[in-house]
Amino acid sequence: MIKLHGVTKIYPGSSVALRDVNLHIEAGEFVSIVGQSGTGKTTLIKLLIAEEKPTKGRLEIGGWDISSISNSQIPYLRRQLGVIFQDFKLLNRKTVFENVSFALEVAGESRHRIHELVPQVLEIVGLGSKSTRYPDQLSGGEQQRVVIARSLVHRPKIIVADEPTGNLDSINTEEIIGILKKINEFGTTILLVTHNREVVNHLRRRVITLHDGQVVSDEQSGKYVL
Amino acid sequence: MLAFWRIIKFAFQDMGRNIGMSFMTIFILILMLLSINMLMAVDRLTQESVSLVKDQINVSIYVVPDAKEDDVKKVRDYINSFPEVINVDLISKEKVLESFQTRHELSPEIAEALKELGENPFGPTIVVKTREPGDYKKIISALDVPEFDPMIEAKSFDGHEEAITRLQNITNRIERMGLGLSVIFAVISFLIIFHTIRVAIYTQRIEISIKRLVGASSWFIRGPYLVESVIYSFVSVAVTFALVFFALRWVDPYLGVVFPNGFSLTNYYKSSILFLVGIQLFAVIVLTVLTSMLAMRRQLKV
Repeated sequence: MIKLHGVTKIYPGSSVALRDVNLHIEAGEFVSIVGQSGTGKTTLIKLLIAEEKPTKGRLEIGGWDISSISNSQIPYLRRQLGVIFQDFKLLNRKTVFENVSFALEVAGESRHRIHELVPQVLEIVGLGSKSTRYPDQLSGGEQQRVVIARSLVHRPKIIVADEPTGNLDSINTEEIIGILKKINEFGTTILLVTHNREVVNHLRRRVITLHDGQVVSDEQSGKYVL
Repeated sequence: MLAFWRIIKFAFQDMGRNIGMSFMTIFILILMLLSINMLMAVDRLTQESVSLVKDQINVSIYVVPDAKEDDVKKVRDYINSFPEVINVDLISKEKVLESFQTRHELSPEIAEALKELGENPFGPTIVVKTREPGDYKKIISALDVPEFDPMIEAKSFDGHEEAITRLQNITNRIERMGLGLSVIFAVISFLIIFHTIRVAIYTQRIEISIKRLVGASSWFIRGPYLVESVIYSFVSVAVTFALVFFALRWVDPYLGVVFPNGFSLTNYYKSSILFLVGIQLFAVIVLTVLTSMLAMRRQLKV
């Protein structure tokens, strides 16, 4: 599903974010990527969503080599992925329903289909009754659930979550991880970047540890070891 | 087609939910358009004033009293053949006498002197009007030929020469100043609008990056802003012209006093409405759309 072959990313000023990273993530896996700040976790996410391009090496998603993806192809790639961020990244002038439907509208989905899918997804994340609210009328946990609904609505094969519980309390954290686990059970590959030791240890799934831009450990049923 | 309708929908949605910024952008556009229209009206008034003064300048050629009618007509036709000449009036010696008597009807000495002479001492007068004050010199020089010399008693141009040259200089200076002011104004307006739209788009940079992250294509993101620019342009031009016509209703009665020829700015605007609206709408659309495109270029690199 996701393959990295000798991927290196060097930012201007010779700052090396990733160094010769080789990874192979299968479809349906739930992978946690851990590591201290500045070890290249966010860079890895940026490469996956084509916000950055690798300096060296090849990156494939579902057989699609995105190492040198053109700007016009980036939207098509992003429509195949679901992305969840720590700071939610919701459109504040759109309602919950509109935030979720926007991901379908950009992909050209019909109005009828949108009105069928969005309420279903909002029900899954427990926000069926709050579809007309604006993001600033919701709690942090609810906002993150909107983001999950948005990343889920176009049925992506991969969901990339960059510190999705970073801004949440323990109850909301548990809820969000629970939703991600449920999504994973339906076959969606989840890539979770996190600092949260408890979450990683509780998951007991594959853990990839990055240090200084390199993969230092890759365990199938790992723990947060740093 | 579906994407097009969604772009239109998002444009109206964005405008409605960001009403403060939409109102400010339209307000700035209206201010710019009002300033430009004011400059245009002043320019039109200046042109009208200059042409009014120009209209009052003419050259009179006084023919000797004993000149033959055919010879006088020959001079008139000769002058008329110049492309610079727009009108030639031949005033008969009888009319000249009559007008002289009317002008001096309050001085009995002059009436007595005319009576004493016993005959009409005036010759016919040829009144020439040219397109530009500068053309008079050419006409006068053209009359300096031996054929007409004995027939022409005097030319009134000598007295007007300095006034005509001065008027010519003033006209040229006003035109240059008007052009200069228009250019300065256009540049200032462009900068103000450019920065207003840039700020409007900058405040939405996070939204733009989010749209990009969920897979919106560049045109899907740009589209609503471009549609908004076009809507702002239409609204601002419509409001500006409504305000201009409202102001003209108040200004025109004053102009009627200054311009005896019945010149009215309302008539000028009405007669050129399509051109004026068209050119201003075109300019504002180009300005706002171009600015939006430039301002968004940076935000779309996510």
